[in-house]
Amino acid sequence: MSDTTPTTGTESVEKAPFRFRDLGKMFGGSQSSGRQFGILGALVVIIVLFEILTKGKTLDPNNLINIVNGNAYVLILAVGMVMVIVAGHIDLSVGSVAAFVGIVVAQSMYVWHWPWPLAMVLGLVVGAIVGAWQGWWVAYVGVPAFIVTLAGMLFFRGANQFVGNSTSIPVPREFTFIGGGFLPDFGPDFGFSNPTLILGLLAAVAVIWQERRLRSNQRKMGAVSAPVWVSVVKVVVLLLVVIGATYLFASGRVGTSYPIAGIILAVLVLGYSFLTNNTTIGRHIYAVGGNWRAAELSGVNIRRVNFFVMANMSVIAAVAGMLWIARSVASGPGDGVGWELDAIAAVFIGGAAVSGGIGTIVGSIIGGLVIAVLNNGLQLLSVGADRVQMIKGLVLLVAVGIDVYSKRQGKPSIIGLLTRGRRTGVDETPVPAAPVGTQTPTPSQGGAQETARPQDLTPEG
Amino acid sequence: MKKLVIATASFAAIAAMTLAGCSARTDTGTGTGDEAAAGFAADATIGVALPDKTSENWVLAGQLFTDDLTAAGFTPDVQYAPASNTVAEQQNQITSMVTNGAKVIIIGAKDGAQLSAQVEAAHDAGATVIAYDRLILNTEAVDYYLAFDNFKVGQLQGQALLDGLKAKFPDKTSYNIELFSGSPDDNNAGVFFNGAMDVLQPKIDDGTLVVVSGQTEVAQTATQGWLAANAQSRMDTLLAANYQGTDLDGVLSPNDTLARAIIESVRSAGKPIPVVTGQDSEVESVKSIVAGEQYMTIYKDTRSLVAAAVDMVKELQAGKEVSEINDTKSYDNGVKVVPSYLLAPVVVTKDNAKDAYANNPDLLAAAGGS
Repeated sequence: MSDTTPTTGTESVEKAPFRFRDLGKMFGGSQSSGRQFGILGALVVIIVLFEILTKGKTLDPNNLINIVNGNAYVLILAVGMVMVIVAGHIDLSVGSVAAFVGIVVAQSMYVWHWPWPLAMVLGLVVGAIVGAWQGWWVAYVGVPAFIVTLAGMLFFRGANQFVGNSTSIPVPREFTFIGGGFLPDFGPDFGFSNPTLILGLLAAVAVIWQERRLRSNQRKMGAVSAPVWVSVVKVVVLLLVVIGATYLFASGRVGTSYPIAGIILAVLVLGYSFLTNNTTIGRHIYAVGGNWRAAELSGVNIRRVNFFVMANMSVIAAVAGMLWIARSVASGPGDGVGWELDAIAAVFIGGAAVSGGIGTIVGSIIGGLVIAVLNNGLQLLSVGADRVQMIKGLVLLVAVGIDVYSKRQGKPSIIGLLTRGRRTGVDETPVPAAPVGTQTPTPSQGGAQETARPQDLTPEG
Repeated sequence: MKKLVIATASFAAIAAMTLAGCSARTDTGTGTGDEAAAGFAADATIGVALPDKTSENWVLAGQLFTDDLTAAGFTPDVQYAPASNTVAEQQNQITSMVTNGAKVIIIGAKDGAQLSAQVEAAHDAGATVIAYDRLILNTEAVDYYLAFDNFKVGQLQGQALLDGLKAKFPDKTSYNIELFSGSPDDNNAGVFFNGAMDVLQPKIDDGTLVVVSGQTEVAQTATQGWLAANAQSRMDTLLAANYQGTDLDGVLSPNDTLARAIIESVRSAGKPIPVVTGQDSEVESVKSIVAGEQYMTIYKDTRSLVAAAVDMVKELQAGKEVSEINDTKSYDNGVKVVPSYLLAPVVVTKDNAKDAYANNPDLLAAAGGS
């Protein structure tokens, strides 16, 4: 394959003129990536806005730690939910499943005096059993996931209250590190949290390595690479973000570091991003969600894919539930109420399509962060919970509304709109490098190309 | 060329954002350190985290805190938790108050067992934590507890139920009653119930009172979330199952909202209204008492409780010891005994409503006074 393609590599380096449009390639270059670029922009705008409005409290290290600890459970749920939604389903039971697992884990430690590692294993096993149960109904019996998980939502809410007698059960202190704990500090005292500095360094190395790997892969496969300057700018921007985040997280009050809940989240994001982008089962999820008949004819075992996404969701809900009881130092009867909707909102703000087939994990995390920063900023400004909910509702509607509108226009995003307008004005000659979102004659055709492309954002961003 | 400018500008904007983050930290860095325990600025931020607005009391308390703290020269930051995902949002609100540099945080907990981590962070940041109306459990970091004497409330409800039954049915020797308790995630619910049972249990044992359904445990009588709908449906079920041929004489209800729901259920079942207890002096219930439906309620003057809290804040601001502590042994939160200031509740029936609400224009009007 590679030996038959013309010399695209050198051409794009030498001949390609400097075009703003190329910036779109920074995060892939497909339509959904363009949209993610848009939502990332929205996140930056919101952060800057609240940083100004709260007079610097938004990016205060302790506040950032609060944002991570206070939202890790929803972001973790969003990781699983995006796969469910991409596969064309929905899971309404995650909040109740998380609450059920939470109360079982709390009970195992508080009443049966299990050591915490064993209790965590129990939690994951319970999550897997619940997931296998729901996955079986969806994939093999064929009951729509909406119904199965609506039943699960009721059943496991009741199960939570049955196990816990509708009361709160405390969890031992040594367990709380996963929800509110920090890495222990070590080594010489620079005035920063050393483990956080190391994490930052790892993230920085990963950013550079990832971009090099991406380019070398593209060269190997004869694919079109973005101009070199785009890569350089991208890496510099990401490095700045990593350095900035590292600096902030490392300079919190003594005894803090980048939170452990955030590390768990990062591991899940990286692991599942790899799964969805680089593995067969991951690509099958997009295939099934995009067009399950075509996927079936192509030899995809759609039952197995459906079973996997549903079962996996409940395991992730179990992780979120354990994180939550660790943060709250108790499991209560009201845990998890409304979490499913928070996770679903994050996924849709992050650019997933209601019809399935489209959506990325990183996008959903960004979507979740938009809500999280908005929520936090409004709380810092002492805006009442009533108005906060109204604003969150509008943000969800506007974000998805812009997406739907731009798709109908065949335009990827605000940024895409901008560059497209410029292009028609200039009327360039076609270049060998495929431009961003080449003329899509009909809006519906976008589906196949819009499925997520390998992403290269770091979660710390 | 134009493109280059745009690209550079967008790049600079992102870089500036990162730099802004850096400089912001140095600004606030000095403020987040532990301040000396002796007093704080007279215009300091005082955080007030209240649960979702499930009863009129919380709505009134929020208004009073805002007004009284402002009048005392402080900067109040009063926040209600939303009705959904309440505990999580209350946790976030408390951490936001810490970030805002609140010197005292007054917390009406949604679930007192699930706030210990946030309360400890607040304490570490140098804030004094006052548990308002509901105790915060399993943490060292609660400095004071401020509430009405809730065990006493329960005892008064139990006694009033007995008195009401004797007054309404002078010729009966045994009464059929049902018991309701509050939300199991609210520490107070059990205290109310135990207080009432302290009075009622001996009478149940000697046969004066008969709980026809047999449901006398806290878990059986619980009303999840203090929601009227839950009490109403439980009452519907109890009536259908146990009172087809017998009379229901009395119901122990922990508060007014539930009392009205219970009365509504009895009414729609076509039964005469029994003696129903209550608590909180909500306007609708005061009207109901005057009209002869609900038997009694408890007046816990939110104004005096908020006033006591604001007095505490003033003393802390001046760096003085908190003077009004009248109970240092009853309220054990599982880790420590929290120094408490308990206010005395007042029983209100049709007979004394106008006197009891003399200092509260809204309730006085509801009670038929002028």
